[in-house]
Amino acid sequence: MAGPSIRIKPAGEPSKSTNISGEDSSHRLVAFLQSQSQNTLTRLYQKPSSCLSIFRLLRPLERQLVMNLLWLEMPVPASTMAAWVTREGKRPYHDALATLARLHILPQSPVKHALNPTFKSSMRQAITGGGSSGSFGVLSENDDKHPPPDIEALDAYALERWETILYYMVSSGTGQFPARPSQGVLYLLQRSRLMANVHGNTLQITSAGFQFLLHPPHEQLWELLLQYLQMAEERQMDLVEVLSFLLMLSTTELGKDYSMENLSATQKAMLEDLRDYGLIKQRTATSRRFSPTRLATTLTSSSPPLPTSTGTGNGSQAQGFIVLETNYRLYAYTDNPLQIAVLNLFVTLKSRFPNLVVGQITRESVKKALTNGITADQVISYLITHAHPQMRKNKPLLPVTVQDQIRLWELEKNRVKSQEGYLYTAFASQADYEYVLNYAKQLDVVLWENASRRCFFGSVEGHANIRGFIERRSAAGNA
Amino acid sequence: MDKPSHLSVILDLSPTQWALCAQSANPTGITLQTFLSQLLAFLNAHIACKDENTLAVFGAFPGQSGMLYSSTGEITSARTESTDANTYRPFRTLDSTLMTLIAERLESYDSTTEEAPIGLVGCLTKALCYINRAITTSSSSVTEIEGAVASVDPRILVLSVSPDQSSTYIPIMNSIFSAQKLKVTIDVCKIFGAENVFLQQAAHLTGGAYVQVERTDALLQYMMMSFLPPPAIRQLISVPTQDRVDFRAACFCHKRIVEIGFVCSVCLSIFCQPVPVCSTCRTKFPIKTLQRLRDARPLAAAAPPTKPLAPKNGTATPARPG
Amino acid sequence: MKAIRGVLLTCDSAVKQILLTMNEKQSFIIEDLDDFHVVIKADEEYRVRRELEAELEKNTYSLE
Repeated sequence: MAGPSIRIKPAGEPSKSTNISGEDSSHRLVAFLQSQSQNTLTRLYQKPSSCLSIFRLLRPLERQLVMNLLWLEMPVPASTMAAWVTREGKRPYHDALATLARLHILPQSPVKHALNPTFKSSMRQAITGGGSSGSFGVLSENDDKHPPPDIEALDAYALERWETILYYMVSSGTGQFPARPSQGVLYLLQRSRLMANVHGNTLQITSAGFQFLLHPPHEQLWELLLQYLQMAEERQMDLVEVLSFLLMLSTTELGKDYSMENLSATQKAMLEDLRDYGLIKQRTATSRRFSPTRLATTLTSSSPPLPTSTGTGNGSQAQGFIVLETNYRLYAYTDNPLQIAVLNLFVTLKSRFPNLVVGQITRESVKKALTNGITADQVISYLITHAHPQMRKNKPLLPVTVQDQIRLWELEKNRVKSQEGYLYTAFASQADYEYVLNYAKQLDVVLWENASRRCFFGSVEGHANIRGFIERRSAAGNA
Repeated sequence: MDKPSHLSVILDLSPTQWALCAQSANPTGITLQTFLSQLLAFLNAHIACKDENTLAVFGAFPGQSGMLYSSTGEITSARTESTDANTYRPFRTLDSTLMTLIAERLESYDSTTEEAPIGLVGCLTKALCYINRAITTSSSSVTEIEGAVASVDPRILVLSVSPDQSSTYIPIMNSIFSAQKLKVTIDVCKIFGAENVFLQQAAHLTGGAYVQVERTDALLQYMMMSFLPPPAIRQLISVPTQDRVDFRAACFCHKRIVEIGFVCSVCLSIFCQPVPVCSTCRTKFPIKTLQRLRDARPLAAAAPPTKPLAPKNGTATPARPG
Repeated sequence: MKAIRGVLLTCDSAVKQILLTMNEKQSFIIEDLDDFHVVIKADEEYRVRRELEAELEKNTYSLE
C-alpha cells in the first residue's frame, strides 16, 4: 500500500480550483441561469440587452457557435455543424452544445440545430439596433440644475460603499467598530453565510467569508449578486425583472444619468439595494434618476470594477501594490485600511509608514489564516493578483521558496487525516472475509483493507448496510 | 484563452470598383450601401463578443488612406449623438462615426477624372503601426493577472474589391514581413473581382484566411464564420484556408507579375529578364552568365505557376571583385 | 466477526511513532493497522489531535 505522499504543485502554476474565471468553467451567472426554467429564460431573452450581456458571459467557443447560427434562417443539420470544429475542438464543442442547451439558447436536437427564436430575434436586434424595447436604458433629459455626476465622484462613491462592506467583514470580531453597512447588506452577508451570528447579536465573519475577502472584486460582486437573486425569489420579486435590470445596468454607460420612468415597480424597489452595494448612485433617495457606477458597467467585462483606491490617489494600486521578497518579507504600498486588514489575515505586519506597510509571512501568520479556513492557494493567488508592477518582471512572479513554503505549511496542518467508521475484524474464514469485503467494495465504503490480517475499515455511511448484509447472511446460513 | 482581441479592418472603398461591383450580374454584385450595413453588423458582433475587444477601421480611398474609427476614441464624429434606448451605446457611436466619415470622404471624389490607384498599402502600414503601438503600450502598463504580458491577439481583415497593383508588390511584401514579426494575422475577404495574388500571399504567410465571396447575399455569414473567431479559437473552429496559393511575384524592373524570374544572388531582387547590373544593390554580373541565362530562357510562359525564387530557375552569379 | 466503532487516522510514519508514544501514557489506540494507519477511539480524537499538535510544535524552529 502506498503511504501518504507529499506532493507539491510546481510553483508559478496556479491551481485550477482558484481560477474561477479560467478556461474550463462557465461564469457563475451562467451556472445559475442553467438551473432556471425554460419559461423564465425565454422571458429573459425578450430583452436585447439581456441577450447581449448573457452572450458576453459565455465561453469563447459558445459565443462563436451562437454567432455562426445567428444569421441563418434555416436549421443546420447536426452533421454540418460538427464539421465546423477541428479534431481538438470536439470535446469543447460538445461541452459548448450542452451548456447552450441548458441555457435554452440552442435547444438540444440530434438532427438539426437552430437558435431559440426569442433569443435569436433579440440578439439580432441588439447587434443591428432598432426596435422599441428600450432595454439599454433611457437617458434622463439634461437638467441644468443637476448635471450628471462626474466619473470621479461615481468611482469614489462605489469604492466607499464596497469597501465599507468588506471592511466591516474583515474587522468583525477584532474589537474595532467600523462603519456599519445597511441592514439589507448585513442580511445578505448573513444569508450568503459569509458572516454568522455568534453570540446574540454580533455578526462574525465565517471561514467562507475569509475566503471571500481574498477573491478578486468581480467574483465577490457576482457572489453577492447571485445571493441577491436567490433572495429575490423569496421576497416575491420577479426574477426575470431583477435579472434583466442587472443585465441592463451592465450595458449602460459610466457618467450618464438614466431615467427611472421605464422601470417596473420591482426594479424601482431594487434601486435601494443596489445603492447600498454601490452599483448605482442617486442624488437623493427620492430622485427620479440614477447613475450606474463602474461596479455596474463592468459586470460583464473583466476590466477592473473598482477604480484606484482612496488615499494615495495614483494609479498604481489598481495594478497591485505588493512586493514580496525571497526572505518572506512583504512590502505593501498602500494606506487603505481594507487592504491592510486583508493582508493582516495572513501576514505579520511589522511597521507602518504613510504609504507603506512592511510585514513578514511567517509560519504563525499563515497558520492563523489556515485555521480561519483560507487555503494556501487562495493566499498565493491573492499575492499574484495584487503584485506590484515591479514584481511582474520576475518569472515566476512570486519567489518559489515562499510559494512552496506556504503550501508546505498547509500540508503540515494536514499531516493527520481522520475518517470515522468501523473496523471489521475477526472473520471466521478467509471466504467469509472476502465475501463481506466484496459487498463493501460494491458500496464503495472501504477505506482500508488487509487480507493477511483479515480485517478492513469501512466508513460510517456503509455500516448499516454491511450489518444488514451480515445479519441476512447469518440468518440464511442458520436456516 | 478568453482574452481580448484586437481587430483592424481595412475597407477598400474605390468608387469605380464599387460601381462595377453593384452592376455586376455574374457573380451577383452588391452595392456599397448593402455592404456597409452588413459590415456594421459584423463590427458590432466583434465588439459584442467581449467588452475589452478593440477595433480600428481604416479606409483605402483612391490615392489616399485614413483611419475611420478606433475604439480608443481617436476619431469621433462631430455630430452630437441622439439618445436611443434601443441600441447599445458603443454600437451607436461606431455606426454613426463610420458612416459619416465614409460619406464625407466619398463625396469629395470627382467621378469624371481618372481614379488614382487605391491606397491599400497606406492602410496596411497604418494598421500595423496602430497595432504596434497598442501592443507596446499594453505590455508596459501591465494590468493582466498572472503577470503575463497582455496580449491583444491582433489581426487585420482586408475587405478588397480592387485588383492587384503590381507596383505595390514590394511595400505589400514588406508589410507582410512586419506582420509576421508582430504576430499579426492577416485575413482577406475578396468581395468582388479576380483573385488577388498579393493578398493571397499575405493571408498565407501570416496564417490568416483568404475567402473569395461567391454569394454576396451571404456576405455577413461568410464574415461571421471566417473572420469573427480570434486566432485562439481557430484551433477549435476551422476557418477556410487556401488549398492553392498563387506565389507569383512582381519583378522589380517593370512591376510585372512573373512566373519565372531572375533573382539577384546578393540581395534577392527579382527581375523578369537577365540584367547586367542589379538595380537594387549594384552588383555586376559576368557577361558569360548573362549569355547562358538568356539562352536558357523558356520561350513561352507555359510552365505552371511555381515558386519563382528557386535558384535553379536562373540565378545570376555576381562577378567576383578582383 | 465483529465491528468496532472508531476513527481511522491516516498519517505519515513519523506522526505514527509519536502517536504510539502518546498511547503509552494514556491508551487510545484500538488497533495498529500498518505504518500509515491507526484506528483510535472516536471520543479521544479531539484530545489526541491537540496533544499531537503540541508535540509537533516542539519540533518546529521559530525565529521569534
